[in-house]
Amino acid sequence: MEHPPESSGDASPAPSAWAPVADRRPVLEAWDLVREFGPIRAVDGIGLRLGEGELLTVFGPNGAGKTTLLRILAGGLRPSRGEVRLRGLRLRAGDPAWHRRIGVLSHQSFLYGHLTAEENLWFFGRLFGLTDLKERIPARLEQVGLLERARSRVRTLSRGMRQRLALARTLLHDPDFVLLDEPYTGLDAHAAAVLRGVLASLKDGRRTVILVTHNITEGLEMADQVAIQVRGRFVFSGQRCQVDAATFDRFYREQVEAAG
Amino acid sequence: MEYLRMLGAVVWKDLVVELRTRERFAAMAGFTVLVGILFNYAVDPTVVDPQGIAAGMVWLTVVFGGMLGLGRTFHLEEDEGAFQGVLLSPIPRDALYLGKVVANFVLLVLVTALVFAVFGLFFGLSFGRAPGTLAAVVALGTLGFVAVGTLFSAVSARTTMGETLLPILVFPLLVPVVIYGVTATKSLLAGIPAAEVEGNLRMLAAFALAALAAGAILFRHVVEE
Repeated sequence: MEHPPESSGDASPAPSAWAPVADRRPVLEAWDLVREFGPIRAVDGIGLRLGEGELLTVFGPNGAGKTTLLRILAGGLRPSRGEVRLRGLRLRAGDPAWHRRIGVLSHQSFLYGHLTAEENLWFFGRLFGLTDLKERIPARLEQVGLLERARSRVRTLSRGMRQRLALARTLLHDPDFVLLDEPYTGLDAHAAAVLRGVLASLKDGRRTVILVTHNITEGLEMADQVAIQVRGRFVFSGQRCQVDAATFDRFYREQVEAAG
Repeated sequence: MEYLRMLGAVVWKDLVVELRTRERFAAMAGFTVLVGILFNYAVDPTVVDPQGIAAGMVWLTVVFGGMLGLGRTFHLEEDEGAFQGVLLSPIPRDALYLGKVVANFVLLVLVTALVFAVFGLFFGLSFGRAPGTLAAVVALGTLGFVAVGTLFSAVSARTTMGETLLPILVFPLLVPVVIYGVTATKSLLAGIPAAEVEGNLRMLAAFALAALAAGAILFRHVVEE
């Protein structure tokens, strides 16, 4: 494994030795995750250890296996090998107890275009077994600035609005582990700024977050830990405070170019 | 209770989306009316007694028309990855399957009613002495059809051949529905007492139950990776 030049501190730890920020109890732990699709290893021996309230940003080029990694962590895809635990609960794909604790925001909204904003939240709220939706839905819509568009059908909303509504869906059941897969894809500068503000509110010290992105600036902004995934493997992982943005950016580009 | 609330939410969502798009119902209803018109010209009532062949025509139309709608059960789920969002929720997969079956059943019952109305109009059919039993035969046959069709539409939605594959997978499995459905319907339309078709009714009920149970168990293996 290679390491980028650092602004200060010791050499970056290998994934197997990955430790959460001091004084934070590990919430999410993963060991030796592998996912194969025929002869292709989309995820190849990844390990993780994240503490409560920490945000890990995973950078990587297209085809690096980032989305596959998130799908495994979300419980939507069985790993070929390895184990994941969230607060001690072992991941079994499709396990309802796992899904109740996780929120997933993707570049796809996971919303029904023919339903209104509040109907979508009502539907997904029911699927999560929530009973206080009359109070919860307006609160979430307000949080993402869409209360006035509650009765608009999703297909009439702009891309940025849909993404904010998708965030409201992600947070509707108050998950303590949130997965963000390229949430800024396709957003203009204004919409991205609005979304960034809402995502920043996720750093409340309670939620553990994994963000996957190509964008170095956005990815480093909120991160406590960073990793670079190339061809299924983490070629770098470490604490955010130990890396300098400019050198990290250069190192990342070298890794992407080397990967072809 | 929570299970039923989740199941109900799936039914509600599917029916509301269908009500707003009318995508599947329009295709099935259009097909039904078209077939009725074609049979109207193809069958000469002075040579063939329409009452005698009505059962076959009705079930043929229901099965082919229904396939148009069932094949698109998961079509609207693909937009914006909505179905992936559903699969990342804690809804039991059997509740998800049964919710989709109920929604499809409501649509197919409406289509079947339309089929009877169209054929009744064109051929002046009499619905026999036991319309209640006829309704039960239609409902149980439709339920079995929908139970199989919903499961296999999930299978075909994940293949590149999609809707082309669906009839190839489903038709062989529908043989019991067609045999017992057509036999019972023919007897009832001919005015034979309801007690005479009790055996067929039981077979349709058994098939529907077996198909529902198999679908509920197998669905998670089809939709999860």
